[in-house]
Amino acid sequence: MKRLFRILTILIVAVLAISACAPQATPTAAPEAPVQPTAVPATEVPPTEVPPTEVPTEEPPCLIVGATYGGPIMDAGYNQAMHEAVVAIQENISCVEIIEAENVYDEAGATTTIENMISQGAKMIFATAYAHQYPALDLAQKYPDVIFEHVGGWEMSGNFANIFGKPPDVWYMMGVAAGMMTETNKLGFVAAFPLAWTDVFVNAYTLGAQSVNPDVQVIVAYTFGWGDSAKEAETTNSLINQEVDVISMHVDSPQTVISTAESRGVYSIGYQNLAAQQFAPEYWITGQGFTLGDKFTWLASTVIDETWEPIFLRCGLADGCMAIAPFGPKVPQEVVDKVSQVEADLESGKIVTFAGPIKDQNGEIKIKEGEVLTDDAMSNVDWFVQGVVGSPK
Amino acid sequence: MSLLALLGVLSSTIFSGTSLLYATLGEVVTERSGTVNLGLEGVLLISAATGYGVTVSTGNPFLGVLAAMLAGGLSNLVFGYLVITRKANQLASGLAVLFFGYGLSALIGKPFVGKLINSLPRYMIPGPGELPLRYTSLFKFDFLIYLVIPMTFFIWWLLYRTRWGLGLRAVGENAETAYASGRNPGMIKFQALFVGGLLAGLGAAHLSIAFTMNWAEYMTGGRGFIAIALVIFSKWHPIRAIAGVLVFSGAVAFQLLLQVSGVNVSPFLLDMIPFILTLTVLLIWGGTRKHSAPATLGRVYQGTE
Repeated sequence: MKRLFRILTILIVAVLAISACAPQATPTAAPEAPVQPTAVPATEVPPTEVPPTEVPTEEPPCLIVGATYGGPIMDAGYNQAMHEAVVAIQENISCVEIIEAENVYDEAGATTTIENMISQGAKMIFATAYAHQYPALDLAQKYPDVIFEHVGGWEMSGNFANIFGKPPDVWYMMGVAAGMMTETNKLGFVAAFPLAWTDVFVNAYTLGAQSVNPDVQVIVAYTFGWGDSAKEAETTNSLINQEVDVISMHVDSPQTVISTAESRGVYSIGYQNLAAQQFAPEYWITGQGFTLGDKFTWLASTVIDETWEPIFLRCGLADGCMAIAPFGPKVPQEVVDKVSQVEADLESGKIVTFAGPIKDQNGEIKIKEGEVLTDDAMSNVDWFVQGVVGSPK
Repeated sequence: MSLLALLGVLSSTIFSGTSLLYATLGEVVTERSGTVNLGLEGVLLISAATGYGVTVSTGNPFLGVLAAMLAGGLSNLVFGYLVITRKANQLASGLAVLFFGYGLSALIGKPFVGKLINSLPRYMIPGPGELPLRYTSLFKFDFLIYLVIPMTFFIWWLLYRTRWGLGLRAVGENAETAYASGRNPGMIKFQALFVGGLLAGLGAAHLSIAFTMNWAEYMTGGRGFIAIALVIFSKWHPIRAIAGVLVFSGAVAFQLLLQVSGVNVSPFLLDMIPFILTLTVLLIWGGTRKHSAPATLGRVYQGTE
């Protein structure tokens, strides 16, 4: 009995040790992910750190940049887009050294990882996941000589700023393309969770589609997981079985959703990363991705010449912070032309994505005539516009 | 509700139920020999990552399936070493294997995240002629789907119609008696674990290589635990496992159908339907008098000295 007890004790210790090392089931990919379904709270995740790239010259680096990601950097999704932007800094300014850490899922992991980077000499930190905002903000107080940039949040301080693209306008353009391509007038949207940002994207997408096709319906279905691939495949299929003929998504990696749509002969529109196109060689319409490399480079250069200031930066297509993927082989020229015309109109202000009057699903007016949904009000949206089928919360 | 939507529920049930049925069959075999492997989820993850990795590297999905099976079998043998050779507690070892699987699968799968694969080829069922792709794609199945029902009957035959199966079940009921009748309980338990691992590997291969065409960390999303619940649901019988899997996967497909039909119920609630259903059935089952679980399930066989 004593022996059994001893073995049990050893095993429990082993389980605890292993569980402490195992990353948790919280793929908080996007900064648009305010829900953190943490399975095991407060265990630390020692992230797999990519060793800094060797600088061939003898000179010390002019700046060491640390970057943390909420998921794998090759996910063909959000994290890959962020990784590419950070790597671009070094491509443009060769004396910069980069330290990266992927799969940093939770706040505790972010704190230790960023502190570790600072102890290695990092003077600038890019915290790219939603869950990294508050750990980074706390550390910004502790290390006033380090510059912090967070992606997709809202907090600001003396040495802490936020940067993000403007996905809603691009979603409007995606809606225009989808609205013209659909034959059944039903568009499908696979979402992870009913979140404010997801609601905003769906609304912009629907409004864009309705602008060219008033009969269009957008059907939203949730998987309740950022990376539950099987659920994504099932959800995609059930949307297609509702006669949806264009699929779009807001999940971690678009791979399963797009591959499934392709296998069923249904169009897809990608999000997060332009690399998504490879999964739909035939039925691809278009997609949008974050291309923040130039802005990240500029921010790093201001840190090097000591002119950095905390700016709340939101930049869109025209600033090069977002990009539209090439159109697929089945897309007619008139759709391409229409989308680029809408792009120009959005840029000139002739079209405003969330200009009132806008009604929700119950017909209640949410944005009055002459008013516009402001950027900071977007994080409180918990309604869908008319024409969306599904629950916004 | 359109015909497409109803056929879709059927098709979805078959697609997502296949991996679950393989995993459940695997657990039936191991539990029949008296070993409960709570680490099934971890074994599934290791197999799914290995199978996906081999498919990416070789470009051949069939090799991927083979690799996933072997990975499942080997993982179960590691578990077997703990609980049979080292005589460790089965539940604790199972949890250790679970967390080990989380970590190892993430490590194995890391280089293959976001990589495109040739998925398992799908073949049309004979019958329907010229239909739009949206319909025909519902009933184009890969060989693992066609194989799953014959496999279920094969496992039944193995357990109930062969001497090997008789010995395996005898070990699960009473290892000492089986030993007295000239069988080697340790060896039989190892064999059961290996066969169970191969089956779990088939399920995992279907999940990553055929169904989702993707590898993502923790992609099994609790299916290993559902499989363990379905073993109880099916009262440790392979044929009844089919019913259990149909009920669970059917409920998942059905709740998605409700969601996309715009039913005015919280999607959070709809998402719980399959689990509530499984719980309810387990509760009703638990109330029945006749115990069908193998008598020494979960007990460590201390050997006969």
